[in-house]
Amino acid sequence: MKINRRTLLRGVLGGAAITVGLPPLEAFFDTHGKAYAADGTVPRRFGIFYWGNGMHPERWTPANEGAGWTPSEQLMPLAALASEITVVTGMMVKTGNSVPHGSGPAGLLTGAPVLNRGTGDFSFNAPTLDQIIANEIGKETRFKSLELGMRPGPGLSFNGQDNRNPPESSPHRLFDRIFGGGFTLPGTDPIIDPKVRLRRSVLDAVMNDSAKLRERLGVRDQRRLDQHLEGVRELERRLARLEERPLTLEACRVPAEPMADYPDIEGRPQMSAINRAHADIMALALACDQTRVFSNFFTFPVNNVLFPMASAGHHQLTHDEPGDQPQVNAIVKQIMTELAYFLGALQAVEEGDGTILDHSVVLCTSDVSFPRTHSIEEYPILLAGSAAGALKKGIHYRSPSSENTSKVSLSLLRAMGLRAAEFGVGGGLTTESLGAIEA
Amino acid sequence: MIRFPQVSHLSYTWLDMKVVLACAMAAGLAACSSKEPHAPVVPTGTPAAPPSAPVLRRLTIEQYKNAVADLFGPTILVTRPLEPDLATNGLVALGSAQTSISPWGVEQYEATAYDVAEQAMGAPPVRAALGVDAHDGSVDLAATRAFAQKLARRAWRRPATEAELTALTRTGTTAAGVLGDFHDGLELVIAAVMQSPSFLFRAELGGPDKKLTAFELAERLSFFLWNSIPDDTLLAAAERGALDTDEGLRAEAARLLASPRAKAGVRAFFTDLLSLKSLDNLTKDPTIFPHYSTELGPAAREETLRDLEALVLDENGDYRDLFVREKTVVDRRLAAIYRVRAPLVEGFGEVTFTPADGRRGLLGHVSMLALNSHPVSSSATLRGRFVRETLLCETIPPPPVDVNTALPEPTGTARTLRDRVAEHLTNPTCNGCHKYMDPIGLGLESFDGIGRFRTHDHEALIDPSSALDSTAFANAWELGGVLRDHPGVPRCFIRNLFRYATGALDPLKEGDVDPLGELTARFAAHGYRVKPMLIDLIASDAFRKVEAAL
Repeated sequence: MKINRRTLLRGVLGGAAITVGLPPLEAFFDTHGKAYAADGTVPRRFGIFYWGNGMHPERWTPANEGAGWTPSEQLMPLAALASEITVVTGMMVKTGNSVPHGSGPAGLLTGAPVLNRGTGDFSFNAPTLDQIIANEIGKETRFKSLELGMRPGPGLSFNGQDNRNPPESSPHRLFDRIFGGGFTLPGTDPIIDPKVRLRRSVLDAVMNDSAKLRERLGVRDQRRLDQHLEGVRELERRLARLEERPLTLEACRVPAEPMADYPDIEGRPQMSAINRAHADIMALALACDQTRVFSNFFTFPVNNVLFPMASAGHHQLTHDEPGDQPQVNAIVKQIMTELAYFLGALQAVEEGDGTILDHSVVLCTSDVSFPRTHSIEEYPILLAGSAAGALKKGIHYRSPSSENTSKVSLSLLRAMGLRAAEFGVGGGLTTESLGAIEA
Repeated sequence: MIRFPQVSHLSYTWLDMKVVLACAMAAGLAACSSKEPHAPVVPTGTPAAPPSAPVLRRLTIEQYKNAVADLFGPTILVTRPLEPDLATNGLVALGSAQTSISPWGVEQYEATAYDVAEQAMGAPPVRAALGVDAHDGSVDLAATRAFAQKLARRAWRRPATEAELTALTRTGTTAAGVLGDFHDGLELVIAAVMQSPSFLFRAELGGPDKKLTAFELAERLSFFLWNSIPDDTLLAAAERGALDTDEGLRAEAARLLASPRAKAGVRAFFTDLLSLKSLDNLTKDPTIFPHYSTELGPAAREETLRDLEALVLDENGDYRDLFVREKTVVDRRLAAIYRVRAPLVEGFGEVTFTPADGRRGLLGHVSMLALNSHPVSSSATLRGRFVRETLLCETIPPPPVDVNTALPEPTGTARTLRDRVAEHLTNPTCNGCHKYMDPIGLGLESFDGIGRFRTHDHEALIDPSSALDSTAFANAWELGGVLRDHPGVPRCFIRNLFRYATGALDPLKEGDVDPLGELTARFAAHGYRVKPMLIDLIASDAFRKVEAAL
């Protein structure tokens, strides 16, 4: 029997099925433990791969449209993965451009304008795509979402205004967080530890204690305290889950332990080594179903990282390098090379009837298109993987009319099984997704 | 097409607004500079300054660490990472009142709480200091309760309520029963106290009379002056009502300021104001700057902080002298950059600059020069922006979009940065804002991207003469003097102190009068000495009261 997986997942997420006395999780597996459900579906994953400071549209956009796009100069490092990636070009962020490097990602990821906080600081006004999705599909896994990045920084994953999920920048700490204490390998016994129960009761007490404080707060601070308590609740759920029998997942294993530290060499970060460690950890975190949502901030907006061989920081070069900017071009190609490694790591893990990448969609994007002018037209958007067949892959869609990037965001929400009627506010609002990229 | 930033979408406070408009409309700054306050100088009494809205503030990482040290002693360490601090409007003090904790941040707080608890109960001297070392290990309700009461009072900066105490005691005795040991039970009490919002957040919300409660006032005072929780003396003063009177509050403020712990407070304020944390991640190309190493940033920060400690606390000097001080302290790394004699012993030693060195005051510090530069070069724009935004509290809007922001490469005829930024100052699109930044930064062009003095850039002679607003200066040495006498400097300092103390962007006051004008005038009356100014600010309504937003 052939079931449209999208319909199925939507049905599960939208309906009561998911909450009807959730049976032991093994029930979702066939007797051989090879798949998650009788019809072969595995969970869908959503990811963001983000880099700062944009690209060069004329070197980025593939020459031909439709299936079988020919890699452009800057996309050449992704050539081997071209059949897995849909390239969307010619779209525009429609929420205004008041904060260079902030308005673009706010528009694409939240559909709303950015909030200027002065002196170079800003906040988004609404949750980002990854968190909108994690709120729907993240409650079943140990981590609702995971955020990682090359450098310490606040990142761009927002739960709401002024509420970010800062990325982990150390591969070893990321490894410890996922595969250290609290991780149980498939086939092993769950963790029954009296101390864990005591920790849970402390968290209950923390939540009870907060009620009195909450009464005294204004609306804004109540919201901030509630966000804190949501984190407490999430931690409580995670501790409770330790006592559950781990899933039977054939692809799950513990990745190689990364190095303790990746110090800069001559003022330059070990970008490739860190990215590769991150990629291998994340691929197996997904294979072990520790999370279904991640954001990988390869670099941040306005970063001035010294890339290998570059004569100045990335952001400075985007503005100051004259002519056709050969160094900036080389940096974009280096980033795409690292993206190729990251996606390749997801593709290398087989599960069910395909690979992790098949069952995921990874939105690969930046904060501007042409960085010298902080343009948010010709916005860089790559979609890797098809979200288990919900999206077309391997096509180049070029917007004929500078369409709203929110259409892509809405397509992504729907591909992940959310019943979203619209996305964005004001100029960013759309009720129509980008049909051309949907399967 | 050129589009200017849409001012209506920006959120600035009234003090900034005129500059924003002026800048966006490319109008002159002189046309809109704020009036100097001419309030009569009142040498005694408490200056009038309006309160601000109550806010809930997260502890910063430093405050959390300081609190742990105060609670358990210096041997107990916070070794795990905590949720990073985040600045808004340039200050972590403001960000701590705006931002929320992420789920991961909660996870990190939990892990650290248990780590600290285990360290503390595993160390007999710490147990002894907390009064629980001599114990047979059996479940002990009374001792658990006494421990919880004492710990919570200090950690929460107020006495625990009866209900809270009962819950904490139950946590401890239950855990002691399950785990089979009294001290293991106390670990859970410590972890519970440290995960409570009463520890992690500062709720300075005020009572019905809009005054901060005595314990809230004590907490605000100790975080302001010590960057940590109150000591027992301060809590006792709060409890007996000593902080309710002007004299009582001033006396406690003076006691805290006279303590060696005030150094931590001065350091925390200037670390936040000058973004000195960023020096941990200073990125410089070592092939261009051979003096760069990963230890340089922290050393440069230490110089600046020691200099500020000396000026503000030890010498009780005129704050404005910060920009003209000829002496500073250097270690051997900094001495190499400054080309002065390195200290004979390991660590920092005092040196005195002369005009021949080209530098004096804060703007000559490696910390400021290297931070406000690029990884491979100096930046007149970043340095000028720092002076405008951080030292003068003027807001420069982000650059307009769809504008080519490229600087021309050095050419045969345009080799220095001055030649190359000429475009910023002549092109009307750029010049609206850049005329406020670049001319200041050009005065600092005698220092390269790491702060080393130079006379030439790309083999062309550097001309460091320029002007700040309408006052001309010949070089960086003179720029320090111009800045010292700039009326915006003390006014801005008072505003930053207010923001840092209260976590509020501005006091509640409508209209075209500077709500901090009287405090600024008092600062002048004090000869711009910071210590008496801090006590006046603490005694004012701006510090003692809160009021719901208008």
